[in-house]
Amino acid sequence: MASGESGKKKKGTIKNIISVIGNEFRDIGTTLVRGDWKTKLSYLILGFGQIMRGKFLKGIAFLAVEAAFIVYMIKVGAAYLAKFGTLGTVETVKQGRKTVYGDNSFLILLFGLLTIVFIAFFILVWRMNIKDNAKDEAVLKAGKKLPTNGEDFKSLFDHNFDKTLLALPVLGIFVFTVLPILFMICVAFTNYDKNHQSPTNLFTWVGFENFKNLLSLGGSGFGTTFFSVLLWTLVWALFATFTTYFLGMAVAMLINKKGIRLKKLWRTILVLTIAVPQFVSLLYVSKLFANDGLINALLLRWGWIDKAIPFWTNPGLARVTIVVINIWIGIPYMMLIATGLLMNIPADLYESARIDGANGWQMFSHITLPYMLFVTGPYLLTQFTGNLNNFNVIYLLSGGGPQSMELAGNAGRTDLLITWLYKLTVNDTNYRMAAVIGIMVFIVTAIISLVVYNILPSVKDEEGFQ
Amino acid sequence: MRKKLLALVLSLVLAASLLAACQTKPAETEAPATTQENKETDAPETDAPETDAPETDAPETDAPETDAPTGGAGEIKVWVADNVVDFTKKAIEDFKAANPDYADWNYTVEAVGEGDAATNMITDVTAGADIYSFAQDQLSRLVIAGALEVMAPENEEAVKTENDAASVGAATLGDTLYAYPMTSDNGYFLYYDKSVVTDPSSLEKIVSDCEAGGKNFYFEINSGWYQTAFFFGAGAELTYDCDDSGNLVSCNSTYASDAGLVALKEMIELKASPAFQNGSSLSSATDVGAIVDGTWDSGAAKDLFGDNYACAKLPEFEGADGKTYQLGGFGGFKLLGVKPQEDEEKLAVCDALAAYLTSGDVQLARYKEVGWGPSNIAAQNSEEVKSDEALSALAEQLQFTIPQGQYPGDYWSLATSLGDSIISGELTTASSDEDLQKALQNFEDTCKSYVNQ
Amino acid sequence: MAKNTEKKTVSMKRRQRVGNFFSYLLLIVLSIIWLFPFFGIVMQSFRSYQTEFGGMVNYVIPKQFSLDNYKFLFSGETNFLKWYMNTLIIAAAVAVLQTIIIICTSYALSRMRFKGRNFLMRFWLILGMFPGFLTMICLYFLLKTIGLTQQGAIPGLILVSVASSGMGYYVCKGYMDTVPKALDEAARIDGASRARILFTMMLPMAKPIIIYTALVSFMAPWCDYIFASYIAFGHDSSYNVAVALYRWMKVNDYQGFFTRFCAGGVLVAIPVTALFMSLQKYYVEGVTGGAVKG
Repeated sequence: MASGESGKKKKGTIKNIISVIGNEFRDIGTTLVRGDWKTKLSYLILGFGQIMRGKFLKGIAFLAVEAAFIVYMIKVGAAYLAKFGTLGTVETVKQGRKTVYGDNSFLILLFGLLTIVFIAFFILVWRMNIKDNAKDEAVLKAGKKLPTNGEDFKSLFDHNFDKTLLALPVLGIFVFTVLPILFMICVAFTNYDKNHQSPTNLFTWVGFENFKNLLSLGGSGFGTTFFSVLLWTLVWALFATFTTYFLGMAVAMLINKKGIRLKKLWRTILVLTIAVPQFVSLLYVSKLFANDGLINALLLRWGWIDKAIPFWTNPGLARVTIVVINIWIGIPYMMLIATGLLMNIPADLYESARIDGANGWQMFSHITLPYMLFVTGPYLLTQFTGNLNNFNVIYLLSGGGPQSMELAGNAGRTDLLITWLYKLTVNDTNYRMAAVIGIMVFIVTAIISLVVYNILPSVKDEEGFQ
Repeated sequence: MRKKLLALVLSLVLAASLLAACQTKPAETEAPATTQENKETDAPETDAPETDAPETDAPETDAPETDAPTGGAGEIKVWVADNVVDFTKKAIEDFKAANPDYADWNYTVEAVGEGDAATNMITDVTAGADIYSFAQDQLSRLVIAGALEVMAPENEEAVKTENDAASVGAATLGDTLYAYPMTSDNGYFLYYDKSVVTDPSSLEKIVSDCEAGGKNFYFEINSGWYQTAFFFGAGAELTYDCDDSGNLVSCNSTYASDAGLVALKEMIELKASPAFQNGSSLSSATDVGAIVDGTWDSGAAKDLFGDNYACAKLPEFEGADGKTYQLGGFGGFKLLGVKPQEDEEKLAVCDALAAYLTSGDVQLARYKEVGWGPSNIAAQNSEEVKSDEALSALAEQLQFTIPQGQYPGDYWSLATSLGDSIISGELTTASSDEDLQKALQNFEDTCKSYVNQ
Repeated sequence: MAKNTEKKTVSMKRRQRVGNFFSYLLLIVLSIIWLFPFFGIVMQSFRSYQTEFGGMVNYVIPKQFSLDNYKFLFSGETNFLKWYMNTLIIAAAVAVLQTIIIICTSYALSRMRFKGRNFLMRFWLILGMFPGFLTMICLYFLLKTIGLTQQGAIPGLILVSVASSGMGYYVCKGYMDTVPKALDEAARIDGASRARILFTMMLPMAKPIIIYTALVSFMAPWCDYIFASYIAFGHDSSYNVAVALYRWMKVNDYQGFFTRFCAGGVLVAIPVTALFMSLQKYYVEGVTGGAVKG
């Protein structure tokens, strides 16, 4: 997919969307004008037409949605929605020694958002209801029979099986992933921080102030720190991905080598780092490398060094140490993957190369590597984006430290954007800045993924596999 | 005909659901609506909360007595550090026995230490404990987040007279007393191994002894708390003034001065020793020759050093200017706080319980159980406390310290950054005085900038 | 000529032998590096608080072996057994429910063609790039409104991990894609419904990937120390074992708990490792397939 092409495509999709929306509205109008009274009444009472035409199952489902929606709006939704614009105005007050809480900005934002989404959802259902009515009418007009309730029900396990299967996952993802993300995006435009905490204090919309703060260089702005952390995040992801990739492949080839026995044993030993929970192994390893840890103590005792090596306290060294320890964690995954894939390379390719007089390195760089890069392209990409957000390794090993006077907002020299974000939310309760940084992390990850994804050679037509 | 009837029934169902939803609104309103109604009725009163206060005070102090027959019921959550959970449970039983009116309440004690309590309280005040212990540096943060109620007027007098002045000061913001002092032992001093360290009165000696013995000397110079030992010792200042609601109003800092330079250079010099280790936790320390740490580790220190256990006030050091300085630092306190309550009955119980848990007898009993140094003057003067080795070392050190006031949360991370800059070698013995002064100036400016926020 | 080739093979054999020697050497060194931390943890777990203190030390082999730490964990002095059970419950529930959800999503996305399918797949992919920590506070209050924090933290944790598991359809769908569609078509001609095809045909064929999914889902909760502590705060008995052990390492109230942490770590690692090792075959199949399919 060349970039020019995709540009054209985008313009096309925008036009498409506009025309689709236009069609929708036209359709709604014509259905209202031309439909019979059952259809017309369905505009107000969802599912009315279906029930009148005997499709109780569908009709009642529609009606239930409407009833639930109305009840929700009146009982909960409307109150929150009304305050959504200000996020609450009533302050918390004391009556005598009793505390009377005012508006809770947090809940107003959360449930206001939920209400907006419910409204959108209801409009969608309403539209489906109209479409369904129109369809039924057309079917009846053509003299055909409508599907019975039983058939409707059965279809949920046959050609509508996707709806049954996906209902729960989609709902779950919506409530516990999409809604929170929408919420945090909204927070980026508010002044929600330690001085504006619900339920005692109100917070409110501040527009783009936080984004300005993030990009403002110098002063107490986060700008310089942000770019410094971003740079390290990218460097780290690059190193973490490729060191484990190549070393993992090397180890796999080593074990796969002809004449090496106990292949299974070697693999099992390496795989231990995957099996043991990281918070146990990494915390211990982090202590091993401490200034007063075992490794320094041993080296000192053997007289190899006369001063402890500052594995975690020297910024440069800390970064190197983290990358090295990450190899320890990362090699086994790549080894497992490479082991299987290497065997897929036809042996006669190597044979003919050997006859041509190729040495080991040439065979690797001309046969093995191109094949592996081609096949594992998507894996490399997911590894890279995974490493951009590799919380555990950084947090458990160095905790982001060492900090520096040159960095704002608690950031340390080995902090990734994600660990910095964590510190900002949990230690500083600086949600407004954390939300902005979160959005930035998202943008960086998404851009890199999209760019890389589009240049990957192995991204084939999905249907091609089948 | 049947169809029309059906249509009618359907529209009725919908109308009914609509009506039902509307009608239930005033009766069984959910969370948003209730708060809203309260607010509307409250609105006029909000204008004059201060004038209301004295009026409501009078009946309110009576409240416990008038309510005495019932005393109310419900759940009261208490958070304390893990090692005093059992002790606190026992104390609450005694409290219930002494106050039968409050015996119907259901008390739960959870192990949430001083370190976590403030963070958790701030995350969600409503799910937080009703009574919780915290270190006093969290006071303003908790007040701003609305997690701390003002001290009950009926207890104020007693708390002020029975506890040492410094601890009361630590529980006060502006002129408002917020929390109940529980211990006066949150300061630091020196634990050392007698067989390694021969003269604990000089920093240079301690370091050279540790070097000679191949042992480590722990001093957490990247903590804003321990770091002040150097700065305050050398004569630099850093304090903040707060108003009653916890907002900073001014910052007094003289870090960017000759005194600050002496302190910074001393830290850099200390770091240059191979025996130096950054840290203050005995649990993660190895080969300890000496460690600057607090009373909470006294048990662990006794276990670790065994027969060689010893403690002393912090040492003196010889500054780069040739003068001798005594390491200073903070004296700290553990406080017990009560969360703002929506129910006055419950608040009265919480106040009574907090007052009980910090009373002289209970403080003394707590000392006997876990060795926490009391803030109560009577308890401090008891024989047991006076003869405690660690507490006497602390008491000796206390005269060189200032009671820790309020510091913005950013100060602590800034101090960590300064300490890390030394440890990571950004600032070294080779750095010029100018560079060091620049770092100090930067530090001081940043400290001052927190006031305007 | 014949002599020549013989010479060649002999020299080659020797070269191979020398090469193998170095390979073995390298493998042994690697094994030592890989095993050393685990060896260290196990050794530390046998160091007694009584004789050698429970904090960090800079030697590996304890001077005196003891089971004190394990005794401490089982003594009931802490809620360790409760924490362990909590984690086991969470892990088991998540493994079952998450696998079901992932199978449902994967099957629908792999076999059915419906409106919005591509949108859904891309949308979920993009959602996954949003840093999860950010939403912790929001999830906390969402769970709180339905009473699933603190006391209810365990069902809450299960709910959250299961609810968003649909997004992890990737590997499983990739595997199902490799099952020939012709099989489906044949079954449909015979009159089998989609549901029937899933249960009677797809599930047996996707067994390796199902086991892989369940295994990965089962392992994740053992390492969840961030979110679990966030929603269970202030309620000791709803911690999972990772939260509790992590607190022993990081919270200052617990002095000298390092060896106990190690002992707890060993107890956590044993079931997870054992399960992983016994199902390693499926795991390899899963990661390899997932990596290639992308």
